[in-house]
Amino acid sequence: MTRPERLAGRSAGDTAGEEEFDGLFRAAGVTGFLHAVDVDTGAEVAYGADESVVTASVFKVALLVEFFRQADRGLLDPAERVTIMADRHTPGPTGVAAMADDVTMSLRDLAYLMIAVSDNTAADTLVGRVGLEAVNTMLASFGLTGTRVEHDCAELFTSIVQDTGQQEMPTDPAVVSRLRVLDPARTNRSTPRETTRLLAAIWRDEAASPESCAWIRRLMGLQVWPHRLAAGFPYDDVAVSGKTGTLPTVRNEAGVVEYPDGGRYAVAVFTRSYGTAQNQPRADAVIGTSARVAVERLRALS
Amino acid sequence: MSNIDMDFGMILELISFLLMDLVKHLRYFIVVAEELHFGNAAIRLGMAQPPLSQRIRRLEEELGVRLFDRSSRQVRLTEAGRALLAEAVEIVARVDRLRTLAERGEGTVLRVGVPPDLGSAVIAALIAGFREAERGVRLEPAEMWSADQVTGITDGVLDVGVIRHPIAAPGLSFGPMLVQRPGVVLADSDPLAGTASVHLADLAGRRLVLFPGEPGLQEETLAECRRHGFVPQEVHEAQTLGLVMAGTAVAFGPRVELPGLRWRPLLGNPLAWRISTAWRGEAGPAAAAFGAVAVRVLRDNAGMTDDGAAPVRQVRARPASGFLA
Repeated sequence: MTRPERLAGRSAGDTAGEEEFDGLFRAAGVTGFLHAVDVDTGAEVAYGADESVVTASVFKVALLVEFFRQADRGLLDPAERVTIMADRHTPGPTGVAAMADDVTMSLRDLAYLMIAVSDNTAADTLVGRVGLEAVNTMLASFGLTGTRVEHDCAELFTSIVQDTGQQEMPTDPAVVSRLRVLDPARTNRSTPRETTRLLAAIWRDEAASPESCAWIRRLMGLQVWPHRLAAGFPYDDVAVSGKTGTLPTVRNEAGVVEYPDGGRYAVAVFTRSYGTAQNQPRADAVIGTSARVAVERLRALS
Repeated sequence: MSNIDMDFGMILELISFLLMDLVKHLRYFIVVAEELHFGNAAIRLGMAQPPLSQRIRRLEEELGVRLFDRSSRQVRLTEAGRALLAEAVEIVARVDRLRTLAERGEGTVLRVGVPPDLGSAVIAALIAGFREAERGVRLEPAEMWSADQVTGITDGVLDVGVIRHPIAAPGLSFGPMLVQRPGVVLADSDPLAGTASVHLADLAGRRLVLFPGEPGLQEETLAECRRHGFVPQEVHEAQTLGLVMAGTAVAFGPRVELPGLRWRPLLGNPLAWRISTAWRGEAGPAAAAFGAVAVRVLRDNAGMTDDGAAPVRQVRARPASGFLA
């Protein structure tokens, strides 16, 4: 986590590099923030990499790390089965959050659903076990001072309902503009650079025990979404593991791309769209294309 | 035990006479099998038809099988005739080769085949390396594609070949298998020319140039392309990179530095072109020496590696494209 990083993104050709990202994000109708780092050499590509950004569900990666660190210390048993009553489900479109009845499953299977389909109920159940303060303490101990988890999923949802007076995700620009969950200062936040530092630590077995890091990598590899980061690397022999984040105008994904020659690159792309439509296919796609450009640039350096 | 009264010398003489005679009969058999017409075969052999028929009958007696079905209208190979024909061709070719070797004094010239795409530098290194290893023998290299080399070796026109695999080459022996990992050659106007490495899937929609005369290699290369998501819009057989330079196609091959062209490594080295020396029967000392030189030169000058170094193709599963997903 503390190793020096070579500043590839700030070296020669940087202006041309910035212009390429400018063009990609502009064409997709978003503002983009990106950081990519070679997990093994520390070479990096940066574009607005130190800006504070709204993580949305990307915060679930930090929660996952702390969950496994507590398992490492014997504070919880990942195989312990818990029952989530139907009337305690946090809203959400996937997983337990979308299910009608009581659900009993192990903590680590909830962790799986939290990552695989961004299950909000699974996440909040783990928050109940792990504690948000413990997550923040862990982040601070890694020196990730710009990364903070202020709320669980239920609190984020409540805040949106308070700001909009409705249960559905708003698309009215005037309503969207007053959402507190879209202000990094008042919600779960990070920076692209700090996000890739956490990911690189996971891939280098430094974020938790090697066994736990392997579990975390496996779960992130099981994420189902093909439309963002993975879309930039449509190759059978390239692995893409990641975690998305979605809120009105927010489309994010952070993950690690592993090449058949052993190259591995942590990439975090955070975007804010000008439009407020629920469907933002160009924003989804530019996460993959910009990540691809960044990884190509890192590979050209080695 | 035996009541035949012959001395050893007489027996040897008889055996050698029978052998020479057998080869001569096999020649007749081959020509008749090719013509499937006794009259035409006799004309080709410069003899009358009755003695030819008689000799074929003698051969049939000797071998104890019928070689031809003779009806009034046509001559056809029997099952046994078809089986023995390949062997007959082989025996006659080897006897011819023996003669040629004897005539020109064995080992003064070694005729070798090399694939033309290896490039001048590699072919020059082969010749130089061999000259050093085997001073008494002159190397006579011929640039030929693998399929032609196999024919050449089988017919005794070539002593050793350097051939690409996979290839059908019954009866040939192969030296150690080496692997070449080609990259992709693009026009420098191609948008991919700016990237550090190219994935086969990135080539989608492009046309592809492949060497002619390498059917096995072509098949294998195209299968690997398909597996990685590249189905060439069209496949051209060509020996030069003209189509690539013109920007209408891409090609695979070793690194090239030519104006107008860009060479880029293929991500994950998905293509493995296998190559080895090949010969027929026992390799003579000159052929063995050439084999050793070829392996060294291909390794040192053409960047090829031992077969064992080939990485296993891996598929990294993604849930979105997983089973029934």
